[in-house]
Amino acid sequence: MTSSGGIAIEGVSMQFGGSQGVTALDGIDLNISGGEFVAIVGPSGCGKSTLLRIVGGLLEPTSGHVYVGGKTSGQARRDVEFGFVFQQPTLFPWLRVLGNVLLPDRVLGRRNPNNGPNSKDIAQELLRDVGLEGFEDHYPGQISGGMQQRVALARALSYGPNTLLMDEPFGALDEFTRDRLNLQLLEVCNKTGSTVLFVTHSIQEAIFLADRVVMLSPRPGRITRVAEVPFPKPRTLEIRYEPGFAALAGELRGLLVGDDDIELAMNQP
Amino acid sequence: MSSIRKRSRVVDVLLRVLPSVVIFALCLVAWELWVNIRDVPAYLYPSPSDIGKELRDEGLSLAVDDLRWTMTEAVLGFLLGSAVALFTGIVFVHAKFLERVFFPWAIVLQTVPIVAVAPLLTIWFGFTLTPKVLIAALICFFPVLVNATKGLRSISSQAVELMSILSASKWSLFWRVRIPSSLPYVFAGLKVASTLSVIGAIVAEFTGADRGIGFVIIQASYRLDTRLMFAGIALSSAAGVVFFNIIGALERLALRWPDARLDR
Repeated sequence: MTSSGGIAIEGVSMQFGGSQGVTALDGIDLNISGGEFVAIVGPSGCGKSTLLRIVGGLLEPTSGHVYVGGKTSGQARRDVEFGFVFQQPTLFPWLRVLGNVLLPDRVLGRRNPNNGPNSKDIAQELLRDVGLEGFEDHYPGQISGGMQQRVALARALSYGPNTLLMDEPFGALDEFTRDRLNLQLLEVCNKTGSTVLFVTHSIQEAIFLADRVVMLSPRPGRITRVAEVPFPKPRTLEIRYEPGFAALAGELRGLLVGDDDIELAMNQP
Repeated sequence: MSSIRKRSRVVDVLLRVLPSVVIFALCLVAWELWVNIRDVPAYLYPSPSDIGKELRDEGLSLAVDDLRWTMTEAVLGFLLGSAVALFTGIVFVHAKFLERVFFPWAIVLQTVPIVAVAPLLTIWFGFTLTPKVLIAALICFFPVLVNATKGLRSISSQAVELMSILSASKWSLFWRVRIPSSLPYVFAGLKVASTLSVIGAIVAEFTGADRGIGFVIIQASYRLDTRLMFAGIALSSAAGVVFFNIIGALERLALRWPDARLDR
């Protein structure tokens, strides 16, 4: 475990609706070292968002444990060690862009390590990093969805969390915006050195961003494969056209198709 | 440059108001013509010019002696009813159990005809300000309660999770998220309540008062003084419009972000 603090997921299972209910996650074991970028990929309803919320201390698993930098995930959440970027930007429409980025500082006060006379400068620098210089005084309703999601990213980074949890943050965006945001995300993460757990349903996006890609099967969510991504960082968009990229993507997609076949076969009498 | 923009904004407002003013004026003209041509008895249908004369002669004393009281009752009732409704809404949002117990009572309060309650309150409190304020408050309570409760609930689960990730207190969630997200709904409710409060005050005055527009109207009706009745109606509805627009102006001050106002 490095100084930035890794994540240890030990035998995590999650059941919704009591013992007769749905098993969302079944025996997840995963170790993520500090500063690592791990993507979780799976089809809709495989429990990947649930796993992210368990790691972030927002949900208690039915069984198993998660330790973040040696603390339980609940304790780590109370110590504000997570940044979270949601599927929707979840900005407050009554606050301007800068106000939204400064929200954590206002909520945390002295608990924010970046708190102080220069917390505004830090927020402005983050907005510059995500390409939103000059939009500080706009309201969220006046900027595009992609820009809103970048504000959400800047907000999540504004208090220097050790761990960044991202729940399909770019899923609702068009391909070009997504490419640009992926590059900016890699750049920003390279700068902050935070551990990232990134949930997506796009295999391409996962391989492009992550050091390791974790494949989840649907209902119950089990890890079917953990793949090392063989491309060094920093990365460029061009790596997506290398044969190794396509081969890995094809291999991972094969896992999903295989699962579907099994499910189909099971549904046939 | 800014003066050009300013002037065009004034023109914008005029153009927006103009159609309704023109229609209103046309209705008055048609009414005037109809009364004159058909020669209907003035004690049944006074012409707008007669009502105008009445307003010119009696308007000032009506406003000072009576409208002032009616609006005092309406505004006090509005403040009381809205405050109690906001407080109740906050309690409901934080204690689902209390909402289950007491929301049916709020509906009962709303469905009780105020015309029937007003005489009762007059018996209890006499010809004082109190029964009028209470009736106005009663009529304001429900729309504000329903809107406030809806507004306080209008936050997304992700917003709650965001505050949880920030380890924010319930208090912080309440002030920084619930209250601002409820404001558009609260103001929608307050605007409805502002017009209702004037009605409540006048209805309460019908059942026992020695001054106020409601008192003037009911007294005039005994004497078939329709000109005075219309003058009272015109004055009170004008006051209601002013009250509504004051709340609307406060709303514009409070809700400055784009698409904040619900009825635009």
